[in-house]
Amino acid sequence: MTAAVSAPAAEKKNITGPSFRDVLRHPVKGKLLALAALAVVLVPAGVTLWGSGSWPGALHVDISGPLDDANRWVIDNRDSHPLFLYFLLHLSNTATDAVGGVYDLLRSMGWLGVLAVGVLVAWRAAGLGRGGAKVAATAFGAFALCGLLGMWDATLLTIALMIVAVALAALLGVLIGLAAGLSDRINRALRPVLDTMQVLPAFAYLLPFVLVFGTGTPAALFCTVIYAAPPMARLTALGLRGADPSVLEASASLGASPWQRLRTARLPLARQQMLLGLNQTIMMALSMVVIAALVGAGGLGEEVYSALSTVDVGKALTAGIPIVLIAIWLDRTTAAAGDRIGRGVPGGGLLHGRSGWALVAAGVAVAVSARFLIGGAWPEAWTFDISTPVNKAQSWITEHLSSGVPVLGGTEVWSEQFTVWVLNPLRDGLLWLPWWSVLLIVAALAWLVGTWATALTATLAMSAIGVLGVWTKSLNTLSQVLAALVVTLVLGVLAGVVCARAGRLERWLRPVLDAMQTMPQFVYLIPVVALFGVTRASAIIAAVVYALPAVVRITAQGLREVDPAAMEAARSLGASTRQQLFQVQLPLARPALQLAVNQGVVLVLAVVVVGALVGGGALGYDVVKGLSRGEMGLGMTAGLAIVCLGLVLDRVTQPTARKRP
Amino acid sequence: MKSDPMKTEPMVPDTKATDTKATSTKATSTKALDTKADAATSAGRPPVFSVRDLWKVFGPKAGKVPADPELAALAPAELRERTGCTAAVRDVSFDVRKGEVFVVMGLSGSGKSTLVRCLTRLIEPTSGSIAIDGEDVLSMDTTRLRELRRHRASMVFQHFGLLPHRSVLDNVAYGLEIQGMGRAARRSRAAEVVAKVGLEGMEHRRPGQLSGGQQQRVGLARALAVDPEVLLFDEPFSALDPLIRRDMQEEVVRLHREEGRTMVFITHDLSEALKLGDRIALMRDGRIVQLGTPEEIVGAPADDYVRDFVRDVPREQVMTVRTAMRPADGDEGEGGPALAPEATVFEAIEAVARTGLTARVVEDGRCLGVVGHADLLGVVAGTTAPKGVAA
Repeated sequence: MTAAVSAPAAEKKNITGPSFRDVLRHPVKGKLLALAALAVVLVPAGVTLWGSGSWPGALHVDISGPLDDANRWVIDNRDSHPLFLYFLLHLSNTATDAVGGVYDLLRSMGWLGVLAVGVLVAWRAAGLGRGGAKVAATAFGAFALCGLLGMWDATLLTIALMIVAVALAALLGVLIGLAAGLSDRINRALRPVLDTMQVLPAFAYLLPFVLVFGTGTPAALFCTVIYAAPPMARLTALGLRGADPSVLEASASLGASPWQRLRTARLPLARQQMLLGLNQTIMMALSMVVIAALVGAGGLGEEVYSALSTVDVGKALTAGIPIVLIAIWLDRTTAAAGDRIGRGVPGGGLLHGRSGWALVAAGVAVAVSARFLIGGAWPEAWTFDISTPVNKAQSWITEHLSSGVPVLGGTEVWSEQFTVWVLNPLRDGLLWLPWWSVLLIVAALAWLVGTWATALTATLAMSAIGVLGVWTKSLNTLSQVLAALVVTLVLGVLAGVVCARAGRLERWLRPVLDAMQTMPQFVYLIPVVALFGVTRASAIIAAVVYALPAVVRITAQGLREVDPAAMEAARSLGASTRQQLFQVQLPLARPALQLAVNQGVVLVLAVVVVGALVGGGALGYDVVKGLSRGEMGLGMTAGLAIVCLGLVLDRVTQPTARKRP
Repeated sequence: MKSDPMKTEPMVPDTKATDTKATSTKATSTKALDTKADAATSAGRPPVFSVRDLWKVFGPKAGKVPADPELAALAPAELRERTGCTAAVRDVSFDVRKGEVFVVMGLSGSGKSTLVRCLTRLIEPTSGSIAIDGEDVLSMDTTRLRELRRHRASMVFQHFGLLPHRSVLDNVAYGLEIQGMGRAARRSRAAEVVAKVGLEGMEHRRPGQLSGGQQQRVGLARALAVDPEVLLFDEPFSALDPLIRRDMQEEVVRLHREEGRTMVFITHDLSEALKLGDRIALMRDGRIVQLGTPEEIVGAPADDYVRDFVRDVPREQVMTVRTAMRPADGDEGEGGPALAPEATVFEAIEAVARTGLTARVVEDGRCLGVVGHADLLGVVAGTTAPKGVAA
């Protein structure tokens, strides 16, 4: 019956062209129409009911009081309550002992021993040969420079923390990944959690751990583990799920039991994805270990943090360079190991397999025994100080470049102008918007890019910010994120388009972008402070620089992966370069561009929040203040608001492709 | 449903009103096969696989479809509309006899790959029964089923399904490893099989370093290494270039000649089916529309679909003189070249053209009949129906 009625209707529609019903069916146009209708009703209602202005005080729940109480309770009961005595205290002691033990082990190996381990493991993991030699040389350079800069001890402490944190995070990640990879139900339950965890800024993770463990190594270690485990879990699950079905079927057809199938087919096939996961976990752990200096992690992060707080650029750089070097060493080593497995070609020769590792062990043994000859600590004479010349250079920059440069103005002038003409109007504009209209805008945007569930999550998260009582500060942070995002996207998409069209430039830029993407967020603050001083604009510039590489890469890759047949067809029809770009490449690369926006938002938010250390203010500053003064209520409220803001921003920019039916 | 008792009725499937014609022809062709096979091939031997009334339906509440005669009779599109289900295999019955190459042939979507996977329950059938050597497959527990897959039936896949991180030798030994055989023993066994399929010297390469044809040789060796009773081939050569495909087909023919192993071979390529198959089951929309020897399929198509399918087949290369011959007339039985009844018409044409005489069909020194110009031309032109069917 219904079929009989709708069939002629469908025919008629085709004849008469797009009708009103068609517009309603169109995914975007239909929603826009509905939104317009809703706005006509809701806006006057909002104006009359709630008027304008900031979040109403009546809808505000103060959680800082109870949080402060909880903090006080923890401090009071830490030595007596069974929860601590029998569980948390054990965890905390084990963490301290583990990190301490690894640190002592590294020290007792002597500097030559540590150097040998770093270099030889890199060489072996990268598959010996010429490729291995290159990675080994990188490792050697990285370690030697750490020593030469006089940061040997701090480097060792950071590495010790890294070893323990990465081992735990990888173990946790693999276990979760196995569960999610083998069970559909667990995967469905975990996916959104892991997705959300990956978009939250590192800063937001710190406070809950401090609340439970107090500042010190345990808090730093555990928040690093939790922060770094998701990529390992995600990629392990992905690798297990993405295994070639024909291989799994062949395995089943030969009568393999589930355990045999896992061991002989699924895990080996997932190996490359898992190594990619390990690589990401290591990079995230490094990023967090450095930021965890704020909760007493010690090591290189501590040096940068204390130098930044006194605006001593020279000292910050002295500690920042080793962080970058460690990042490069770890990234190159794990990436090379992943490539080697990905190629899957067995190497011949004597040094492969176990004998290669035996050689590594022998080399390390020799180097360790050398400590009795040349001593364990990095030789004092082999260090030199770069902080004085750097500080001189910096003061020269401040004198000559920051202001008074003819025509151009100068860096500080720029940042001031940016603050006055862009940041302040944006912030004031956001604050001027009535609170309910902000919620409506968020809901509308999230609904447009996703489903009603997306809209609901985003709106709830935004309202939570208001309820927490940090509406103004959050909108301030939001204004910074938006300003940084616009700059990042304009620059990044332009650079991506250029990169995709000019192969040579891309080849040249690629290693630079790779290196930039591996560095922890903290490091970006150092040069920015040197050039632009301590202002809100500095935080934004650091955010732009941090987020840019990812946006450029995703854009360039998306454009280059456009179906070559479509490009060829366009060319054969005589399309100009411009027509090809705007009519073929950009429309077809839309999913990549959406992903670039999403990634851009997530990365920008992470740095804007950390930027509180160099004058960013707003939410990030509350976190820092909460940490440094022990004001848990203030810090946790801000941390929660950051989480909510992260959720809102992620949902509003979430690529929609996978949600479409 | 799994514990369906073994049925022992003849293999003619339950007929629906729509294809009475097809089925009645099939019934006769089966009879013809039996009379002929007594002399020639593997009939009389016990069946290795015995499949009865097999259904595989994908979709919600799939079990209801075979049980309900009204639903079971629906055409595929109607069935999808009514129930949201797709019947990949519909009411299929056949026997695979020991030592024969049984080809299941059909276009993509005809259900042939699903059918072969049902044999070892890589896909769980919806209803019906399957027996291997008289043992019910559908009632096997996990251990027993694993045993079946490990030792009795192994499979060669269209996309090879090799483990990319293992060498050729370890891939071939994979089935033995799953059986729990020790490293040294399985490697030496694998090395023998690798040599048998002509891959000596490549034992230590990775699958990624081999050509498609070589990869499929590895797949074949892996299946052979466990010394199974039946080899199942799922379109094994579809992904290969024509020349390599021919090589591999000859490899299969050679292996079958040497070892006489039972094979179930899935293909969508008619010439491959005719070349390899002792018997061919032609599938369409999940049903077997005709089952018979290549000669029967080409010579006596069961319906217009099959006729259309085999139209371009060079008949003289498939039909034998047994079909083309007529009783000797007068002194024709005396002179002329002698041919075996299994000789193709193509060979007979050559002999007749060379001598200019009528050829005799001789078996065990007895003259069964003769073929002359007119008989042979009749076969090529398609005007002569095979005797078995005509009778």
